[in-house]
Amino acid sequence: MLSLQNVNAGYKGIDVIYNISFSLKEGENLCILGPNGCGKTTLIRAISGLIPHEGSIKIDGIDINKMKRADVAAKIAVLSQISTIYFSYSIYETVLLGRYLHMKGRTFKEPSSKDKEYTDKCLKAVGLYSIRNKQINELSGGQLQRVYLARTLAQEPDIILLDEPTNHLDLKHQAELIDFLRDWSKYEGHSVIGVMHDLNLAIKLSDKVLVLDKGRMATYGKATDVFSSNLLNQVYDMNITEYMVDSLRIWENFDHHLKMGKLRKVN
Amino acid sequence: MKVKYKIILSVIFSFLAIMAGVGLGSIKVPPSHIINIIANKIFSLPLHPDLQSSTALAIIWKLRLPRTLLAFLVGGAVAVSGSVMQSVLKNPLASSYTLGVSSGASLGAALVIVTGFNIPFLGVFTLPVTGLVFGMATVFSAVKFAAMMDKSLETNTIILVGMVFSLFVNAILTLVTAMARDHLAQLTFWQMGSFSLKDWSNVIILFPIVLIGVILIQSFSKEMDIMTFGEDQAFTMGVDVHKVKWSLLSLSAGLTGSAISFVGVIGFIDLIAPHVVRKIFGSSHKIVIPMSMFFGGSFMVICDLIARTIVSPSELPVGAITALIGAPFFAYVYFSRRRWL
Repeated sequence: MLSLQNVNAGYKGIDVIYNISFSLKEGENLCILGPNGCGKTTLIRAISGLIPHEGSIKIDGIDINKMKRADVAAKIAVLSQISTIYFSYSIYETVLLGRYLHMKGRTFKEPSSKDKEYTDKCLKAVGLYSIRNKQINELSGGQLQRVYLARTLAQEPDIILLDEPTNHLDLKHQAELIDFLRDWSKYEGHSVIGVMHDLNLAIKLSDKVLVLDKGRMATYGKATDVFSSNLLNQVYDMNITEYMVDSLRIWENFDHHLKMGKLRKVN
Repeated sequence: MKVKYKIILSVIFSFLAIMAGVGLGSIKVPPSHIINIIANKIFSLPLHPDLQSSTALAIIWKLRLPRTLLAFLVGGAVAVSGSVMQSVLKNPLASSYTLGVSSGASLGAALVIVTGFNIPFLGVFTLPVTGLVFGMATVFSAVKFAAMMDKSLETNTIILVGMVFSLFVNAILTLVTAMARDHLAQLTFWQMGSFSLKDWSNVIILFPIVLIGVILIQSFSKEMDIMTFGEDQAFTMGVDVHKVKWSLLSLSAGLTGSAISFVGVIGFIDLIAPHVVRKIFGSSHKIVIPMSMFFGGSFMVICDLIARTIVSPSELPVGAITALIGAPFFAYVYFSRRRWL
């Protein structure tokens, strides 16, 4: 469905990522990992067409440079991070905007009844249908991220790109978002490509993992293989395994104290 | 309240504002007579006997009606332009003024006033046309310069460059004003705007410009909605951001430029009207654009009515009134977080 061959991209003529090659089949999810500044966001921006690239990025065998902007947007959608809201819209209006590409009319675009039905479907999928007339500037971060998710789904893309989508979200909402996206890709046969810092979330979402180190591919493979290697320790320049095991130990300790009655559970 | 009812009420409000603008003053004329006069002039319907030999007929048809309609058109045009600038630049304080339209237009007009320069076939329209050309030129140089500095035309770059250009052009204007003391009164009056002594010719020229401008802007309403969420987001949703942004900036600068070149610089309407409209109708541009036209137009008509009646028989510059009422009102609108109605 998506394949990259020797892709270089960057800003103002200076490449930030070099020789990136990988391919994704329908229904496969990919997580891009790596330390700050390794080029994760640049890679996502290149795939979405926001910055120019060298090499080839193909969707269903067609180079995105040879596709019209609207055709690329019909295939690839980007779930944005939560940012400042300058002008408020209702939840429904916001999600309906995701249908922009599908709306009829060359000059005056108007949503059809199909667009409205699809918007309702997306709102129901993320559980916001009952509050669809609420203004988005009255929502919590978690709710707002779900609005943007519904808008991204309304675009009917084959691939959703995520750039640190769980920023500003608490643990519960992070897990909910990742679960939702995993199910979406599994049942609809689509793909999710995400930049994430949280390794736990990454492993929950992805079938494949691409690790970047200073703009180059350090490894690419099945999530289970990559997470068992020592490569992560090397790329992040810390002992990741020990860090994870330490965390587990804290949790075990916590459970132990709870059982011994040293900690009081607050309901 | 349903949007449909709000729209109907707004249209009624605009109609009443225009009737007040035309009917009130040294001679008071009731709305029925105003409508009678219009019907007589346009459809040759018989005049009411009271009006047949009165000065009211001439005052309404020759002075107040064109003046009020011009005020409505100018107010509507700057308000639509303001709402576009605010959305495109994602800044609730942006307006054509931020990008230097008014400073440019003022400088152009000042040069015409001071030098007495006259383009033969334009005649009395030399002043507005020069104002428009200078206003547009300032905006385009500002945007071009911003694009040179930052290819992606980040919003902040445009606003900063616009302000720098504005200040620079204003400085030249101050120099011109300082050197041409004989024309000081005329220059000051132009810089504060006025609708006095405007006749039908102004309305006839401005009407098609505003109509076409607003319809073209309206055709971008969905794109503007999407672009308020950020340009990158809009791009990935399939909007041709670069084209849309340039088109909207040009249309909006052209609209303000044409409007103020007829009547001088009148501030604040372009800031207040879109904010009031958003408070009442929400942010959807499909409604914000036409309603900004109605509200901006009505506000301007009311401000002009105040400007010409409050110290009658003399007249205040309307720009002073819009600012006097506008500044505190804007602060109130901007800081009151709740939606109205």
